[in-house]
Amino acid sequence: MKDIREDIAWAQINTDVLKSLENPRKLYWVILFIAIALVGVAVGCEIYQYNMGLGVGNFDNPHMWGLYIASFIFWIGMSHSGTLLSAILHLMHADWRKPIYRFAEAMTTFSLMTAGLFVAVHLGRIWQIYFALPYPNMRQVWPNFQSPLLWDAMAIFTYLSSSILFLYIGMIPDLAICRDNIHSGWRKRLYTVLSLGWEGTDRQWRNFRMTYLTIACFLIPLAVSVHSIVSGDFASSQQPGWHITSFPPYFVAGALYSGCAAIITLFIILRYVFKFEEYMTKSILKKVARLTFAIAMIWTYLVWIEYSMAWFGHNPHDKHLLIEKATGTYAPFWWMMNFCASVVPLTLAFKRFQTNIPVLLAVSLLLNLGMFLERWMIVAPTFADGYYPWTWDHNQWPSLVQWGIVLGSFGWFTMLFMIFCKVFPSVSMYEVKEMVYHRSLATKKLQATGELAAAGKGAH
Amino acid sequence: MSITTLFDNYSEFRHRHPDGDVPHNPYKWAMAIDLDACSGCNACSVACYAENNLPVVGKEKFAHGQVMHWMRIERYWDHDGSEFPERGARYLPMLCQQCEAAPCETVCPVGATNHTPDGLNSQIYNRCIGSRYCSSNCPYKVRYFNWYDYPTTDNVWPAEMNMQLNPDVTVRGKGVMEKCTFCIQRIRGAESDAKTQGRLVRDDGELQTACQQACPTSAISFGNLVDPESRVHKQWRAQQVDLDKHEQVKDQAEGGTDLRGYRIYEWLAPYPSIMYLERVRESEI
Amino acid sequence: MMNSEFDRRDFLKVLGWGGTAVALTGCGNGMVESGKETVVSYVEATDYMIPSVSVYFNSTCAQCDAGCSITGRIREGRVLKLEGNPKSAINRGKTCGLGQAGVQNHYNPDRIRAPLLRTGNTGEAITWEKAYALIDEKLKGVSGNQVAFLTGGMSGHTKVLLGNYMDSLGSKNHFVYEAIGPAVVRAANMKSYGVEMPRFNIDKARVVLSFGADFLGAWVSPVNFSQQYAQFRKGADGHQRGVLVQVESKMTITGANADRWLVVRPGTEGILALGIINVLNKLGVKVSGDIAAAVKAYDKDRVSKDTGVSAEQINKLATLLTERTPSLVLAGTAAEGYAHGSQNAAAINLLNHVLGNVGKTVEAAEVVPFPQMAPVTGNTVALQTLNDGLAAGKYKVLFSYGPNPVFTAPGAMKFKDNMAKADFKVVFAQYLDETALQADLVLPLDSPLEDWGTQVPEYMAGGAQINIQQPLMEKLHAETRGMGDILLTLIKQRRAAEYKPFDDYYGYLRAAVLQNKAALGGAHQPDNDIFWNETLSKGIIKFDGAKQASFSVNAGATGLNLPEPAEIDAQYPFHLIPHVNANLRDGRNTNQPWLQESPDPLTTIVWDSWIEIHPKKAAELGIQEGDIVEVTGKNGSLKVQAYLFPGIHPDAVSIPLGRGHDAMGRYAKGYGVNPFQILDVVYDKQTGELALHETRVKISKTGERVIVVKDEGPVGGNQEGQKIVPEMFTDKVNLSKEI
Repeated sequence: MKDIREDIAWAQINTDVLKSLENPRKLYWVILFIAIALVGVAVGCEIYQYNMGLGVGNFDNPHMWGLYIASFIFWIGMSHSGTLLSAILHLMHADWRKPIYRFAEAMTTFSLMTAGLFVAVHLGRIWQIYFALPYPNMRQVWPNFQSPLLWDAMAIFTYLSSSILFLYIGMIPDLAICRDNIHSGWRKRLYTVLSLGWEGTDRQWRNFRMTYLTIACFLIPLAVSVHSIVSGDFASSQQPGWHITSFPPYFVAGALYSGCAAIITLFIILRYVFKFEEYMTKSILKKVARLTFAIAMIWTYLVWIEYSMAWFGHNPHDKHLLIEKATGTYAPFWWMMNFCASVVPLTLAFKRFQTNIPVLLAVSLLLNLGMFLERWMIVAPTFADGYYPWTWDHNQWPSLVQWGIVLGSFGWFTMLFMIFCKVFPSVSMYEVKEMVYHRSLATKKLQATGELAAAGKGAH
Repeated sequence: MSITTLFDNYSEFRHRHPDGDVPHNPYKWAMAIDLDACSGCNACSVACYAENNLPVVGKEKFAHGQVMHWMRIERYWDHDGSEFPERGARYLPMLCQQCEAAPCETVCPVGATNHTPDGLNSQIYNRCIGSRYCSSNCPYKVRYFNWYDYPTTDNVWPAEMNMQLNPDVTVRGKGVMEKCTFCIQRIRGAESDAKTQGRLVRDDGELQTACQQACPTSAISFGNLVDPESRVHKQWRAQQVDLDKHEQVKDQAEGGTDLRGYRIYEWLAPYPSIMYLERVRESEI
Repeated sequence: MMNSEFDRRDFLKVLGWGGTAVALTGCGNGMVESGKETVVSYVEATDYMIPSVSVYFNSTCAQCDAGCSITGRIREGRVLKLEGNPKSAINRGKTCGLGQAGVQNHYNPDRIRAPLLRTGNTGEAITWEKAYALIDEKLKGVSGNQVAFLTGGMSGHTKVLLGNYMDSLGSKNHFVYEAIGPAVVRAANMKSYGVEMPRFNIDKARVVLSFGADFLGAWVSPVNFSQQYAQFRKGADGHQRGVLVQVESKMTITGANADRWLVVRPGTEGILALGIINVLNKLGVKVSGDIAAAVKAYDKDRVSKDTGVSAEQINKLATLLTERTPSLVLAGTAAEGYAHGSQNAAAINLLNHVLGNVGKTVEAAEVVPFPQMAPVTGNTVALQTLNDGLAAGKYKVLFSYGPNPVFTAPGAMKFKDNMAKADFKVVFAQYLDETALQADLVLPLDSPLEDWGTQVPEYMAGGAQINIQQPLMEKLHAETRGMGDILLTLIKQRRAAEYKPFDDYYGYLRAAVLQNKAALGGAHQPDNDIFWNETLSKGIIKFDGAKQASFSVNAGATGLNLPEPAEIDAQYPFHLIPHVNANLRDGRNTNQPWLQESPDPLTTIVWDSWIEIHPKKAAELGIQEGDIVEVTGKNGSLKVQAYLFPGIHPDAVSIPLGRGHDAMGRYAKGYGVNPFQILDVVYDKQTGELALHETRVKISKTGERVIVVKDEGPVGGNQEGQKIVPEMFTDKVNLSKEI
């Protein structure tokens, strides 16, 4: 199985990808409408919550955090794979990322935008969110730099701006292609402006490569640090179930995990909708599936280390919490999480499933469900069964307001992504051309040295 | 909050006597609660509601766990398998412990909760943006969040009940965290009065917290821990409890200690400023 | 009911009414109300009202009958918070939660603001002139014995004035009713000690043995007893820490603080007392012949079988009582609530005699040297007599001030229906409670924080004292009146000439006090105004060296005849114990939200009623926490949530009193159930008092379940193995170094 055919004409690549930018079918509008409606629901819930107070979310003492923080971590987690694909795999010269990194990077950017919303929504006084910024003020008061929540704010801001930059810079040659090939209306104007006058000269390409590489290098530490910082929200507190040393790598692993699963989902959808079978090949899908499997096993290892330490460490608070997770109020979700996130990915070990589209779609969705539940199982049980027994609360569930905003966030993400796919090329045309070129070079080399065994078989 | 807080060690016990060139701060507010005297009557809790403008949330919100009692009286049973609680119950007034290495102070993103030089854990309402991290980190869960806008909620302070509000204490709106302040309004008032007279606050009843003042069995002592004449100081000394240790010397002794003073979750090293005196039971009966 | 007769003329001679109308001064820190002035604006701030500066005025708490003295903190002309007055021997500067809630009674939004006249089913606001005129009209042609006046316990000048008014009507029908007063114990005390309420020196006792007397909670004078309890725990007279043993069928807050809580079969408190005397006798304590004879049959094995208390415990208790003297034995609500309650109380009081406590920890209290001001205490016999009279159509005009009998009378008495038989019913109240809703005319009262008065507490803690009540701020609502003012106006309708010199009750009080200046501590002060201001400023008039009440000690066992323990009725197997909670009591304070939200000390439940069932019994019946159960007695049924409570006898269940209002404002209405309604009407054989603990009920599940709204978490009172509230035993603890 080849990652890509080496004989695709470059013009063909242009045509195929630009076709995805044509006027959409009716189904697109229906789904977009639903997504926008969900956003509307979220906005309505937020307005209600803003006016009444956070109590409408069913929070209480001790359940101070709920779905908002869980979703926040989930969305930031999902953003990591984009960076993994675009930046880390770029440095590793993994060519198979080329057709898929564009939409992955877009996924990163939009996940971060969604996560940022939750930071605002979960605050008691959103209108004073600017207090978290180090702005000059009469009282000469800085924010508290020891607070992990503040690091969150700084990290996300950095990560988001870097991701947007990276996405945009990487798109410039493609935007130029769009500009040159799409001649009508607002699109022409948009692409002209955005492509910054790209001509494709040697000099420009050299500068481009250097810039791209630099930003990629800059982005890689962020991929690890951002979610480590988010884990610091929990790891640097001393509550049972949170004060766990392995949280930073555990969170990063979880982030990569859910991001990869999301990539599989979007891969399958885009491949089908835009008929990108030539570019988003099954070979690449198989590689992504294997990557997901590897990360799933790393995650499983880390989570079982956490359980083992809680159990054998005999710290009564941690042990009690673990038992409560397995048998208490949220037990069904704990078991479902363990099943979805540790058992289900085992299917990805089998070659026959690694390219089976329906199975992969179902598996990727289940994996993400598992990861969403995992975020909830980090947040809620520690509140339900913290140190102090008098304040345990085994009967707290998020209200419809919380659900409304969380579902709305999915709508928001979907809306952004769908708009992106119709305005910007979701497959990187110039990189695919590179990939085809490399492949053809490799094939020619093999032919020249006479080691060509059978047609269509090429190692990379 | 300044940029130098970046380098502070928030787990370190914070109130030092003296601290480098800085001499003793003349005040360190602390409390001692005698659980053998505490009858569990809840007078202190109601007095706190009256003094600090605490909202009554009503049955439905109480059912949701959104009650606002800064001081709560907990009632424990002996769990020894007996059919009846023949040794009675055990009452514990639980309030903000004003920890010297408070886990809540380090995690507020905007620095709304800090440590005052006189040893209180301060909560600055107008700085609070309501991230609730402080409460998540509190081991005692004694921080209470304004889940609703109680001043504008029906039947919380209807006319004329709003005339009862104490003008010395902010009435909190929604989205703000609050907790026991050791009646800081009374502390500051007494400190200010004393200062104009050129002296320090004495331990003669001129400064009492609302809970201490109401308590019918006088179970609560409150005062200046560094004033050797104060009752609180004498009690901590007599019980051999040191503020800046997370394990007391007396507890290391063979067979444990025969003194009653202890602090809750001392081993977590938040260095709480409230010492409890264990409940006593007669062994002859 | 007054102990001594007096002649009205003598009284008037004593108090006098000489002097002209009193002009009130505004200087000094003596008083707030300027009487005739309007609310002071900031522009004309007087020197005691400086913005941001607090001023403090003394008064008397009226939330219960203990008579604690309070100091109100006032800023900008409004009272903010109540503290205890350190100078009072009763509460010594402390307050209870109920006392703190006095401000919520004052500022309550559901107070009645104008006189209301019934028209059909609504109340039409009318003027006071019209109201007084209407009363006058309705009293025309009505003879004295057709008028009834129902009040709660009263003392001081208001009591005197009421007495005069009744006299002017030619009526002797003043009914003093307390729904939960210790009336049986008072009668038993009278027999045993010669006074209704002696002074109990808890702080001098080394052992306190309380038979259901909830002295830390709701019994008699809890703030005073709590103070004494603190001393008691520290050790009396340099002795070791005092020991508290509580004997009852349902744990009260005092029981929760006991060193040993002994659960007894309901009603067998007296048997246990006699059993203890039996063992004491065997241990060598001298008892008189008739007592020895009376207790001979109560050996510890028989007593153990009857009461459920183990013989070993009885032995231990008796031994402790002999080793640590003096002790103090108290007979409380749990003991007296039976048809043989008087017998129980007598047996328990006997213990004090046998142990030699009389004269040491049970003493005569001082009395205020003005017998006409002495308190008249209430009981339920008064309610019955009134009820019978109403049922017979005897009363044409009924006045009610204080109690809420439509709420607190057992449903079987049909008080509401009988009340309707009176032609004209006037209720003086702050709120439209259940009784006020049945009235023809409702007259709105000032709250105690804006009214004048004097009060003599029933339980005299230290020396004798008269408590002064003065307004802590200007009247909140223009059209409320103080009861004293109302009575004065009413009595002026009949005796205009005699009371003409008094413009208002304030004037009456002032004149009365000044007339007796010398006896009230003002002998040294020639200036009347200064003396009056000083008196108000102090808030208490103390009498040093007041004569002690005659204390006659009857240490005999004659007439002691305890019945056998009651059999379990198969149809109604449970004893219903209606519990008196320190904050809610008989329901008069339920509309104060702090009290509704203050968790019950034993169950931590708020805003609702509950029924306490022992966990073993609940398991037998398949009842879990939160199940709605139907509690059915002979006289009605209630549906209430179940709470599993280990501190109760398995044959008993308990529902708290005070909730279950269907009137009385937004904070009281609709919360909980009212156990008063289903009480069996059984009387104590000797005093005729309502035996509150004699109701029998059966429990059945309804199939519904709710989540109990309480403060404790899902593990209840479990420390989960953590060191949160450890305890030490006296043989291991070193209390010698304590401060």
